[in-house]
Order: sequence, then structure tokens, then C-alpha cells
Amino acid sequence: MEFQFTEKELAFRAELEEFIKSALPPDWQERARSWPGGYGAMEYDSEQDRKDAESFKQKMVDEGWFTVSWPKEYGGRGLSNMEQAIYFERTSYYRAPSLNIATAIMGPTILQIGTEENKEDWVPGIAKGEIEMWLGYSEPDAGSDLASIRTTAVREGDEYVLNGQKIWSSLAHASNYGWVIARTDPDGHRHRSVSIIVVDNNTPGVAIRPLINIIGVHSFNEVFFDNVRVPARNLIGQENMGFYYLMTALDFERLIVNIGAFKHGLEMLCGYVKRTERGGKPLGADPHVRRKLAEIAARVEIAYLFYWRTATLLDQGKIPSVESSALKLVTTELSRMLANASMEILGPYSMLMDPAQGAPMNGMAPRGYLDCISATIGAGTSEIQRNIIATRGLGLPSK
Amino acid sequence: MTTQNIKTADQMYFTKEHDLVRKSVRDFVKKEIAPNLDEWEETGETPLHELFKKMGDLGFLGIRYDPKYGGQGLDYWYELVFLEELAHIQGLGLPVAIAVQTHMATPAIYEFGSEYLKETYLVPAIAGDMVTSIAVTEPGAGSDVSALATTAKKDGDHYVINGSKTYITNGTQADYLTLLARTSDDPGYHSFSLFVVPTNLPGFQVSKKLDKLGMRSSDTAELFFDDVRIPKENLIGREGEGFIYQMQQFQHERFSAIPGGYIVAKDIIDLTIDYIKGRVVFGKPLIKRELLQHRLAQWLTEIECLKSLTYHIVQMKMAGLECTREISMGKLKAAKVLQGVAADCIQMFGGMGFMNEALITRFYRDARIISVGGGADEVMCQVIARLEGF
Repeated sequence: MEFQFTEKELAFRAELEEFIKSALPPDWQERARSWPGGYGAMEYDSEQDRKDAESFKQKMVDEGWFTVSWPKEYGGRGLSNMEQAIYFERTSYYRAPSLNIATAIMGPTILQIGTEENKEDWVPGIAKGEIEMWLGYSEPDAGSDLASIRTTAVREGDEYVLNGQKIWSSLAHASNYGWVIARTDPDGHRHRSVSIIVVDNNTPGVAIRPLINIIGVHSFNEVFFDNVRVPARNLIGQENMGFYYLMTALDFERLIVNIGAFKHGLEMLCGYVKRTERGGKPLGADPHVRRKLAEIAARVEIAYLFYWRTATLLDQGKIPSVESSALKLVTTELSRMLANASMEILGPYSMLMDPAQGAPMNGMAPRGYLDCISATIGAGTSEIQRNIIATRGLGLPSK
Repeated sequence: MTTQNIKTADQMYFTKEHDLVRKSVRDFVKKEIAPNLDEWEETGETPLHELFKKMGDLGFLGIRYDPKYGGQGLDYWYELVFLEELAHIQGLGLPVAIAVQTHMATPAIYEFGSEYLKETYLVPAIAGDMVTSIAVTEPGAGSDVSALATTAKKDGDHYVINGSKTYITNGTQADYLTLLARTSDDPGYHSFSLFVVPTNLPGFQVSKKLDKLGMRSSDTAELFFDDVRIPKENLIGREGEGFIYQMQQFQHERFSAIPGGYIVAKDIIDLTIDYIKGRVVFGKPLIKRELLQHRLAQWLTEIECLKSLTYHIVQMKMAGLECTREISMGKLKAAKVLQGVAADCIQMFGGMGFMNEALITRFYRDARIISVGGGADEVMCQVIARLEGF
């Protein structure tokens, strides 16, 4: 076993790094406030930050970075999963505003399981960054237990009529289409009765209501469907196969764990304790602080090894379902550990939210302390991940 | 008290008279605080003068203090009843703001202050006519109190105060501060003095109101002193003894944080149980999952232990015993229990646990304060270690 990148991977990494550094504003690291693994700080603090993020995204589109992982016939570079992993690692390390779930998840999924019509309708727009999608999975009574969804889509002529409600819909207000799972066969088996349907946000009957999260930011929404009529061609793939397609879509999500942000967070904290004095000594000389940071450094390293291994398995054509559950569990719980450690190390300063009032590290610690809650809940709670590892990984009985 | 009359565990500690006080505090919280709390959390400022006046009229602000200063002259069990009921307020901001008045800024005046100070400052604090703050922490000195840099220089019949204080709860509304300042450049603990500093004097300034993680209904300020001249009569006790007085005053402050540990934690658990009873996942309510049941059972056990320690401390106080060790342990444990419960319960709320509109988020934000205020967890450990002679 040899732990190193190939020449090709190294060249890709260098090219990507050069792009990120040249395309991001020079002071972006002082402004970015996203927390590793958190979902809650997606909104920008100022108009300037938002504009800079938009302009960065446009450069990504223009230079084809959003679609590097796509097959070559659709304008991508047909990256290996390892290169894809390098891509997510570097962009998250630099906290680049590069997340575009339509190009990362929906585009590749459609290319894999969509009909020719689906590909014509959606792929070019997604590639250009003109179509942005939100994930319409969770409902008030169906989160980690996704097969319990109640939103229905009834076929009437060449339309589907949708009724129901989605919740925790990240950035639904900032995208233009929903990637919605709905029940299309009320009498079918719970895993063979749902379909994926793309819904234009502007269709009559769609109502998007903001949900303000624990940080005070609008990143989530509730979305209501009241007799929403959608063209039947917006069905992705075959009817009632939605649950299986979700599993495919999930494969494209497995590496999106913000891995680089953990390393960045650790470096930020180490920088802080080196330059901050308390009681006449650098904070980093405090045994309690040193022990905490050493513990986190070890875990960041473990998460990285897990991450590269998951990419390797994907490249070998294996479905790393247990490994990616473990990766999700390890990184999201590390998100909490990093937040708790930051709070303890900052002491009373951890209470300050506003950088203008002298909050250390740009107010990242208290924001992270709030944001890290989302990590262990969203995309399958820690409890669900442990169940998956126990049943699929260890072969333990489920009941 | 004879054992045959005891039907519940609470009756081992509390009499009918205690229950009456409990009911009146509970009614007050329900009528005067609960209906306004969401608004106060939203605006970040509770009208303390108005609220404290009502509490003063009902005798809540001087439970333990001598009736000759307007207090109730009651014992530590009544004080505990008061703190337990305050802890049922949904969020820690207000209980802390109130405890500043009763447990943080006034005990030293009561124990060490002159009759003049008691008449002029303690009586109106007990009556709810004045709002108080405790001003110890500075930008460069938090739990490490001996690093204080704010100075009070004697000048004829006055002391002249220069420096700044931060993280001062009630700081934007206070009529006076109980302030610790350096009165000598000598090293050691006998270089500090405690003063009553009215906030209407020239040179005093609220330099900013701080935006903070939690405790949104309570205001926290940074204060600035530029040649603030106070009469020498405002010295509490003897010059040079302020640090010692403050260490004793801290015992009241730290004790006041402990009942919140078990009461708020239990309220959070009750709130969570209500939610997960109705939440059906994979065919049955979450409360029926053994994993969650056991997690809650473990926390309920911790809560019971903390409550027993608290009652033990009250018994020690009643017996006149020194209990710094136990109070330090209690505050340390209260912080761990409350934060542990808040983090585990917010997880049980799933996606709802991340939404600002859910009350659980307020508890999660507020729970951090116990680890930081009145001496950080690490300081509690240091105190315990020192008392153990390590």
C-alpha cells in the first residue's frame, strides 16, 4: 500500500489550487465563516460577500470547474473519484463558495439513470449553472426514515399533480427547481412507490416559507405543494424507481463531507493559541489546550485517511455504503468536537458573536457551536449511521 | 419533622411555608415573565427596573437579607426554593440577570458594607428601586481575577477609578456597580478593594452592548471608566481586602448557578419527551427506542445526583459549614449536566432542533454560560484541586 497521489492527480491538484487562489478575493479567508460539516451558514453576511461568491461561482462555470467530474461527452473531464475527492478537499480547505448541488449531485445522477429526454431537458442548463436545484427529500414526518414520505404525485394526462409538504429544504429560495421525491403509487411497497420529479419553483401552487435556523440565518425552508401541476416529462427515469435513484444520487454525495475545512479549522485554532497570550504565556502552552488540539489533530488525520479510502473504493467500482456512513459519522462528530474545543479554548471570548466587537477568529467558534448541530442531524442522523454500520457492516440483526 | 408525615421526597426538605414561597415565585414567573419572554429575547433587553420593582414589592429580592434592610430574613432553603423556581423561566438570560441583583452584586455589601452603604444601596436593591451589576471581569482578566488592571486611586475624600470592565450583565441598565479595582501595585491578594460605583457619575461610559451567543434576554456590556470620582464612603469594608470579599461573594454567585443545572436540564428533558412521544420514525414513536430511553435515563440519574449535591450544600450552609469545595463541584457538574442534556436532546429533535423557532435551541445556546460565568470550569477544577491539597 502506497499513500501518495499519482502524477496526474498531483497535476490536477496543482491546477485546481492555482485556480482557487487566483479566483478568490485575497481576503476571503478573513471573511468566510462557514463551519466544517455545518449546513447553517450558507447565507452571506454582507452584500459584498454575496457578490464575491457569485463572481467566484461564475468563474467556476466559465472555466468548466463545476463539471470536471462529468463524462467527457457532456463537457466534463471524466475525473476519477480520487480526483473528485481532491477537488472537494481543496475547495473545502480554501472555504471556496463552490457548492453547487445541481452539478455535483443531480447532473451526474441524471446522466447515469435519466432518460434521453431528461438529459436534453436538464443537463445543459445545469452545466451552465443556470439551473440550480434544491433537494426535496425530508418531510415533517419523514426525515431519516425517508420511505415514510407522504407527498403524492398523481398522474393526470401528461401531467403530475403534486400535493404535500417538504421541510428543511436548504436554499430552496435561492434555486429555481426542486428535485422532489413523491409517492406515485399509494398502494405499492414503500421502497417501490416513489418517484423523483423536477418541479419549477414558479409553478402555481408552490409556496416557499423561510425557516430561520439556530444561527439566525435563513438557509432552510418549508415548501408546500397545493395541486401543483408538473409536466410528466419532468419525471426522472422510470416511475416508482425514485428510491433506487436516491441511492445513486447518494453515491455522488459521499465525498461531500467538507474534509478540507476540518484541517483549515484546526490550523485556524492552532494559529490563535500560538499568538494569544493568557496569564503571560501563549495559550498553546496550556496543557489542557494542547491536549485538546492534539486529540483533534489525530482525528482530522483519521478522517482524511477514511476519506481517501472511500474515494479509492469508489474508483474500484465498489459501493462504499458502510464506509461512507462511517465517514459521515466521524466527520460530523468531529465537527462537534472541534466546536466544543474552540468554545473551551476561547473561554469567555467564546460568547462573542460579532467580529466588530472583537470576537476572536471572526466569531467562528460560537457560530460553529450552533452550526455543528446540523451536521449530526442532516443527511441521516448519527444514530442512523450507527445502525447502517451495525447492520450492513457488522452483519448484526436489525431487530 | 416526624417521618410519618412524609409522603414525598420533597417533604423531607420543604415545609408548607416553603411551598407558599415556591407558589408565589412560580405564579410571578407565569404571570409577569413567561408572557413577555419571547419579546425580551427578541429585543435583547428586558426592562429590569420595571420587573425588579415588581419583584421587590413581593419581597423576592431580599429573601435571605435582614428585615431591617427590607429583606425577608429567611433561610437557605427558601433561597433554594427561589432559585429553583427562577430556573423554570425558559432560558437562562433572565434568571442570571435576577441573580446578579440577589447573589452577585449585593452579598458583599450585606456582609462587609457600612450601614451607610446598606441604607443607600442595599435597601433600594432589595426594594427593586435600583438595578445592580457586578463588575469584576476585564478584557485582560477573566477567571484569573488577580490580573485586574482597573485602578482606584485615593485622592482626598475620593477614590478615582480608571480602566474598563467587560461581560457585565445588566451593565447597560445598572444604577450602580459593585466593582473590584486595584488599590495598590503590590503583588498578592491584598492589593484590591471592592467599591460601590454609581453609574450616573461623570467619566462613566457604557462603551458597547455585546452581541453574544446566548442569554439574549439579558444585556451584557463593556464599561469604561475615565477618572470616575467616587466618595471614599463607597469603599466596601476595608481597603485591600476586596479580593478576599469577592472570593466570598463568588460563593453566592456560583451557588446560584447550581439549581439551574438540574431544574433546566429536567425541563429540557420534559420538553424533549413531549416531542419524541409524538414523533413516529420507522413505525414507532422515538420515545420507544431503547437507545434514546437509556440516554435519557442516564441524564436523569446525573440530574438526581446534582440535585442531591445541591441539597447537601444547603444543609452544610444551614449548619454554618464552609462549603467552597462542594459549591465548586456543584457548579462544575451543573455545567456538564446542562450542556450534555442540551446537546443530546437537541439531537433528538432532528431537523427541528436546528430551527430558531424551537425552544430547545435557546436552551442549547444558553447552556454554555455556566461553564464560563462566575469562574470557568477550569477554575472550578483548580479550586477543588487546591482544596484537596494537590
